[in-house]
Amino acid sequence: MSQAASRSIQALVARDYGQPPTVEWVELEPPGAGEVRVRLQAAGVCHSDWHAVTGRLPMPMPMVLGHEGSGVVDAVGAGVRGVAPGDRVVVTWVPSCGACYWCLNGSSELCAEANRGAVDGTGADGRTPLSWRGAPLHRFSWAGTLAAEAVVPEAAVVRIGGDLPWREAALLGCAVQTGVGAALRSPIRAGDTVAVLGLGGVGLNVVQGARIAGAARIIGADPVAWKGELALQMGATDLVGSGQDPLSAVLDLTDGRGVDVAFEAVGSVALMAAAFNVARRGGTAVMVGVPDPTEELSVNAFAFPSQEKTLTGSWLGGSHPARDIPRLEALWRAGLLQLAPLLSHDYALADAPQALQDLLAGRVARAVVTFPDR
Amino acid sequence: MPVFQDSAALYNILGGFFDTRVRFTEEAHLIHQVGGPILFVFEEPAAQICWVPVESGREAPFELALDGQGPSPLLTFRQSGDTAHRFWHGGLDLQQALARQQVRAQGPLSRAMKLLPHLDAIYPLYADYLQAVGRGDLVLPAHGGGR
Repeated sequence: MSQAASRSIQALVARDYGQPPTVEWVELEPPGAGEVRVRLQAAGVCHSDWHAVTGRLPMPMPMVLGHEGSGVVDAVGAGVRGVAPGDRVVVTWVPSCGACYWCLNGSSELCAEANRGAVDGTGADGRTPLSWRGAPLHRFSWAGTLAAEAVVPEAAVVRIGGDLPWREAALLGCAVQTGVGAALRSPIRAGDTVAVLGLGGVGLNVVQGARIAGAARIIGADPVAWKGELALQMGATDLVGSGQDPLSAVLDLTDGRGVDVAFEAVGSVALMAAAFNVARRGGTAVMVGVPDPTEELSVNAFAFPSQEKTLTGSWLGGSHPARDIPRLEALWRAGLLQLAPLLSHDYALADAPQALQDLLAGRVARAVVTFPDR
Repeated sequence: MPVFQDSAALYNILGGFFDTRVRFTEEAHLIHQVGGPILFVFEEPAAQICWVPVESGREAPFELALDGQGPSPLLTFRQSGDTAHRFWHGGLDLQQALARQQVRAQGPLSRAMKLLPHLDAIYPLYADYLQAVGRGDLVLPAHGGGR
């Protein structure tokens, strides 16, 4: 079932690098082959949206921001088999092709086709379904969820159950997959000690992922006091706060040994080095935060062989959405995954620019844009 | 809060320890095996203390040059004041500290490594010194040091 006419919808548009995003009326084409149209019910606002605005994440402009959301499938294009109009879905941002080297080797989060589309802003057919003022309008990594509606590849949506609220479901699109996934696919073993440097929306999910993975001690570090309190709620056992050097503080808490697994969840080069340095001999440091593409990281080279340390990265938490969103949903249903505490502030789409500002100012864990009239 | 609140405090306490205690130990003569000046560069607070070897016959085998006044160093160790404070307590594994970038070394590190086993005799002097100058409040409890 498809519909022929384009629609005018409202969306949060980043016009150019460094320009403040604004809410605009844009044109959205109906779904083509392999695509679905989703009427958004909720969409998360993430630091990565801001990174796209600043150019830290290299993506084409102009673009509709937003890369996690939840909503109802409104129409489907030819060949779509997995979802149908009326289905409740999560929208995510790495629609893997299933055929490239990385997909075939179990790393669909690194899918070559998904990465290509994220970087050049076009779909598999070389077009974008969006336009603005008569010119093509791109979307954040195939998604563009900070909009009333989105046309996305079928692989960018995953069906969810009727009991999962829209706002909570939206977070499964990015923050939860990224944070929880990073922990679940790290070497954490039951009883381990873990450090999480940075307690934003992703870091808090690393904390609860570490708890789910069986970590006995989870040290959260962030200078913002309320984020620390939230981390305790998510499973942190110790906090390193404002005015404390994370390296010294974590070493003090572990009798100088360091942690089994350390995570950096900000994208700060200084914190990335700190994460490597707080890992114990034989430990692992996982870089989850996204730094500027031009930045370089300096760590002690001798530490690799002499300390047997592992430095690794995590993209989308190593998740495969079709596999992992249902698993995260099951963890939520079992009471093991907390979603509601992350939802501190709701915004109307018209206030999405303010949501971004509040996120940057550290006033919210995860800002969510909702569409209450639906 | 850093142990040394400002550069003056670091010079007074750590510099005083080097000047009045370390220079007069048996182990201080080992600086001649290093073969050149050793510069300690501190951050938080910013300060520099250089151990400058001197000819035999002087009152001690090395003198101190403060605040960048010394000759070009053979070896440089960069660390925070807090890290130095812990090191001179004997509470820091240097290999670990180098691996963790708590201490950054420049120069022929192997020459300084010759001194390390002998520092065990000096570490207890630091806590004694702190007590003697009325700063027993700065003495650290025993620490694992990640060994």
